Amino acid sequence: MTQLVQALVLGLLIGGVYALMASGLALIFGVMKIINIAQGALLILVAMFTWWMWRETGIDPILASVVTTPLMFGFGWILYRVVISRIRDQSASMSVLLTFGFALVVEGVLNVVAGNKFRSATPSYFEESFRVGSVSLPKTQVYGFVAAVIVLAALYLVLTRTWTGRAIRATSQNPSGAALVGVGAAGTAALAFALGTATTGVGGSILSVLYPFFPASHYDWISRLLGIVVLGGMGSLPGAMVGALILGLAETLTATYGGLRWSTLVFYLVIMLVLLFRPQGLFGAKLREDAA
Amino acid sequence: MTASSSARSLAPSGTRSNTPRRHSRILSLTAVAAVGVMVLAACGAKPSEKAAAAAPTKPLVVGISLPLTGDFSQPGGEAKRGYEVWQTMVNAKGGVLGRQVQLKITDDASNQDTVVSDYTKLITQDKVDLVLGTFSSLLNYPASAVAEKNAMVFVEPAGGAPKMFGRGFKDLFFAQPATAPHQADVFVNWIKSLPESERPKTAAYPSQDDPFAAPVIQSMQKQLEALGVKTVFSSLYPADTTNFQTIASQMASKKPDLIAQGSVFEDGVGLVRSLKQLNYSPKMLFQTSAPGNASQYSDAVGIANTEGVFYTVSWNEKATTPLNTEFVAAYAKAYAGAVPAEDAADAFAAAQILQAATTAVGSVDQTKIRDWLHANKPQTILGPLSWDKTGAPLGQFLLAQWQSGTVQVAAPADVATTKTIVNPKPGWK
Amino acid sequence: MSRLRAIPRQHLVAGVCLLALLLYPVINPWQPYPQGVMLLGFMLAIQASSWNIISGFAGYISLGHSMFLGLGSYTVAICALAWGVNPLWLMPLGGVTAVVAALLIGSVVLRTSGHAFVIITIAMLLAAQILAVNFKGLTQGSDGITLELPFWSRDYQNIPFYYIFLGLLVLTVLYTAWIRRTKFGTGLIAIREDEGKAASIGVNTTRFKIVGYAASAFFIGVAGGVYAYYLTFLNPVGSFAILGSVVIVLAALTGGKGTLYGPVVGAFIVQLASEAATVYGGSSQTRVLLFGAALVAVVLFMPAGLLPTIEARWRKRHPVTIEFTDQAGALGRSPATTRERALEDVAQAVADDLTQGEVLLEVRGASKSFGGLVAVDNASLTVRKGTITGLIGPNGSGKTTLFNLITGGMAADSGEIYLEGQRIDKMPPWQRGHLGLGRTFQVTRLFKDMTVQENVVAPLPDSRWRTMFADAVSGHEAARAGELLDIVGLRRFAGERAGDLSYGQQKLVELAQVLMLEPRLILLDEPAGGVNPSLLGRLTEVIRELNQRGITFLVVEHNIPLVLELCDPVVVFSRGRSIAEGPPGTIREDPVVLDAYLGDDWRPVPDGKAPNTVQTANQMGAR
Repeated sequence: MTQLVQALVLGLLIGGVYALMASGLALIFGVMKIINIAQGALLILVAMFTWWMWRETGIDPILASVVTTPLMFGFGWILYRVVISRIRDQSASMSVLLTFGFALVVEGVLNVVAGNKFRSATPSYFEESFRVGSVSLPKTQVYGFVAAVIVLAALYLVLTRTWTGRAIRATSQNPSGAALVGVGAAGTAALAFALGTATTGVGGSILSVLYPFFPASHYDWISRLLGIVVLGGMGSLPGAMVGALILGLAETLTATYGGLRWSTLVFYLVIMLVLLFRPQGLFGAKLREDAA
Repeated sequence: MTASSSARSLAPSGTRSNTPRRHSRILSLTAVAAVGVMVLAACGAKPSEKAAAAAPTKPLVVGISLPLTGDFSQPGGEAKRGYEVWQTMVNAKGGVLGRQVQLKITDDASNQDTVVSDYTKLITQDKVDLVLGTFSSLLNYPASAVAEKNAMVFVEPAGGAPKMFGRGFKDLFFAQPATAPHQADVFVNWIKSLPESERPKTAAYPSQDDPFAAPVIQSMQKQLEALGVKTVFSSLYPADTTNFQTIASQMASKKPDLIAQGSVFEDGVGLVRSLKQLNYSPKMLFQTSAPGNASQYSDAVGIANTEGVFYTVSWNEKATTPLNTEFVAAYAKAYAGAVPAEDAADAFAAAQILQAATTAVGSVDQTKIRDWLHANKPQTILGPLSWDKTGAPLGQFLLAQWQSGTVQVAAPADVATTKTIVNPKPGWK
Repeated sequence: MSRLRAIPRQHLVAGVCLLALLLYPVINPWQPYPQGVMLLGFMLAIQASSWNIISGFAGYISLGHSMFLGLGSYTVAICALAWGVNPLWLMPLGGVTAVVAALLIGSVVLRTSGHAFVIITIAMLLAAQILAVNFKGLTQGSDGITLELPFWSRDYQNIPFYYIFLGLLVLTVLYTAWIRRTKFGTGLIAIREDEGKAASIGVNTTRFKIVGYAASAFFIGVAGGVYAYYLTFLNPVGSFAILGSVVIVLAALTGGKGTLYGPVVGAFIVQLASEAATVYGGSSQTRVLLFGAALVAVVLFMPAGLLPTIEARWRKRHPVTIEFTDQAGALGRSPATTRERALEDVAQAVADDLTQGEVLLEVRGASKSFGGLVAVDNASLTVRKGTITGLIGPNGSGKTTLFNLITGGMAADSGEIYLEGQRIDKMPPWQRGHLGLGRTFQVTRLFKDMTVQENVVAPLPDSRWRTMFADAVSGHEAARAGELLDIVGLRRFAGERAGDLSYGQQKLVELAQVLMLEPRLILLDEPAGGVNPSLLGRLTEVIRELNQRGITFLVVEHNIPLVLELCDPVVVFSRGRSIAEGPPGTIREDPVVLDAYLGDDWRPVPDGKAPNTVQTANQMGAR
């Protein structure tokens, strides 16, 4: 019984972190219909940077997200303006290829600069756990979960209470309509992209503590995140969160009861099953096919 | 298309006058293509024809492909250093067969296609005199096939997976004392030497699904079970596993006396960390590879926690084998005081083997070299090495243990650097 | 047009290159290394060409395509070892496994349009790796599978592999060229250009996509089998690496995806560049960085690829004057002829007077809202066989939305739609097309990158497999398309790129396209817009002729004089529902109609000039 509770708790904790990482992806897709395959590589980039900062200055990795988040916001803004916006008008497939290429560039640069070694930030609480009864909750997971929840709440507030957030939601629902009411589409798109990459600031910092990583780790992450977004329904933020929790639980439960080697496979299996019965995902809107 | 002909007939007449130009363009294209083909064609000798004997002043070229970039770049880089230290030492003493040794090293980027191309080029186009192996079983499998096809002796510093030697190759030699399934025999022998009361009663065997690490642990499990040690946990985890909490908690609940992990590096560190988080410390801890990473390992798990950890290794810098101290010194001189990694030592040994055979035979005749190696036991910094007819070595690994923050060789007795063995392992600090 | 002149030249150059490649090992046999480099280039070209089918033609990018190579390798290796047979005999088995896998994955994920496919292809590649690692009994897990060395003398080493891969490459290119020629090929391109429109012209998009995906897997699987024998060693990590898929995409993109030879050219460029980088680049380069940078560069600066860019430059240097629409030809043409189905209907109709006037299309209580906006509000509509029914109404009254509900572009929130007694509102758009429902669009939706001829040949009048694989370039489908183009006077443009035509010309092509469906009912959405007056007369004539042959029309128009002249009955829509129906004369005077159009503050001019209403309506309708 303890093992079950332990597995459930761990699954939820990791699901929360997945939700944070997937939210950026869902946001970017929702607003501009771009699948940002580089999201995983950006996570690793931030993780590497956080690790370096922690090693040089001793700053707590999770708190370091206070620095990394605005940095990634700016990075995303520049990236959008300089690179992504050029292919905005082309088909969606080109944006996939562009972001994929960019992910490889980031991986390649990290390879050259940092080398192909595993790294992991190990602050003092790294090997400690909270004990609740007979269930042990590793401190890193808990802190990561708390940080994820805070950021997701902040994201929610930004999207619903600020003008920028409403502009972003308007553009995602109806770009021409939004333009008509004075929402500049180009500026909003850049904002949304920057917001999406900003979430990798926190996500990557958390990652640096949670799991050892090396430059090519981004494939594992991006395939997880993409799977979550597909499961939740492309472009749906609540869908991404629910999907993340479901998959976090499925992964951990499988690891506990089925063996570690099946847990990643279960991830993909769940996605395929859902798509079989509900092709648009859990919360996805059936695509409106317009005449004009 | 019918429409096209009508379009053309209605278009300005300039179109039609293009036709003779088109034909001549095609003719010139064909001519260019033909010339290009000729250029590519360097009429050469058949691959099976031997190269003419080289003049004694020409350097002896050794062709090598290594994963200098990509997944195996770390051990690949170490192997390159090992080969280069060998080259420096050998050339200082007059080279091999009176000829200076030249290394032709290419990067295969940890990619199977590239390693095949690299060795094909080295052997058939560059016509190197000798060939040395690359790093990792995954790359050595296809590389050794190329060498075998071309009847070149292939001495590999890594690649001890059991299947490597099941293909009936005659030119393959593994430059380590034992293949993976026999790597841990020295540890099992030590357990056998203990009185019954001190032996572990129960054991757990987590291993990465790696073609080199897994056979070590699987073989150990079989031998220990035959000895009466009960297996309470045995599981393979995928290579990209980074979260060991579930495994650690499953093992901790069973409380095994011995945990023997087939690890590579990061997973070895990860498991120790997870065990610490759960506050479970087994009486004996054996890990493959990971503890052999010197300060990287001790920094990662904490120097106090290395106490008593066992592992097996093909080489140790303190071993009293011939040329070992010179090797360590030369390496330190070339690389700013660094201590060689095991991979560099294995590479050095591979080169030594080839050197011994070539010198004994007096030429670069591959058949003679191969026959000599099958019949003899060349000395290396790993000790004397010999092989069965499939190329699998017949020696023993060293049993090493972390004691007081440094690594000691615990067995076999004739090369041990310490008489004491820490048992049981102290708890986590 | 020079695009057509280019095609024979293209094939000629390809033929010369093929000859050179065939002769190369004959001229220079004892060099395994360059042969090895070339055969890897062939293998990449096979993969890139195959990828082109689903990702170039159909536009569904697959980022996990090297999975099929691994599947083929493993299948052939496992079977060869189990049955003691040389792997080369088992090559086709590799292709079969790949096709089965593609069908399974495709049938789950290709049922929607959009982006799930890209993501799933990556996921499936990684999943395949995990399966290969874990099903040890079958695949020997991460230990890998070793095969025997090839049985031929080491003197020949790579030569047999060279020719086998070259042969497979030739087959793949021929296969791709054949697909491109069929209606299957035009259907795939239609899906890429405009999936919704493709569905409305009878292309069963789900079936096409799944078949396209499966078709793109076969030769890769076969090549995988040969590759296993070449390498003599397989393992999960090497067989299912993502970098393999990246290289495929890079190759096809560099050469020009969607073209016939682009992927082949791109594959050679990438393979040779990669080998050159290894040999001359030293160890400081990282493959990943180079490939990533190359991919980004190609997408940003040369997204069409090398071959199309070269062709575009060539066309700029050698322009061909475009003829104008052959109006005289169109106007002087004999009456429009339609297919046997229409003639049968005519025969039926003449023989049996009762069928005339029977209900063909019935909409009952259809509703559609978008969020808070009610576009169609419990609307009912009846269209009788043999009529040209007009549908007019102010902007925003829901006419186009109603069209979308009828043709299947949107699902109604409630209500039913019947076509000749058969309920169609749950059917996908292509099925409605097969039942004889065709439609043109307010803003034309042609497939801009296809030629006019291809646009008109693309529709599928039925769901038979034979039709799907019928030749689109020559033969009787193409002949019929040519006839239809004659009717609208655009035969001369058959070889032009549809996107290059003027707005009015595109409308005419769209009409020809619809006729290809052999429709019983055509929905025309503002057919007169953008068509010059003399051709408008011709258009009206064509509609009347087709109508006399038994095709029913439902026409939405703002050109009121045209409607009043052409249509009977006329239905008036306002605020999502029908407010009046009747013969044109009645509608013209109906106060409810005038109220809806002009608002309730309109007052008639008092000096007895009755035609005021007509004038006002004329002013409204004039463009």
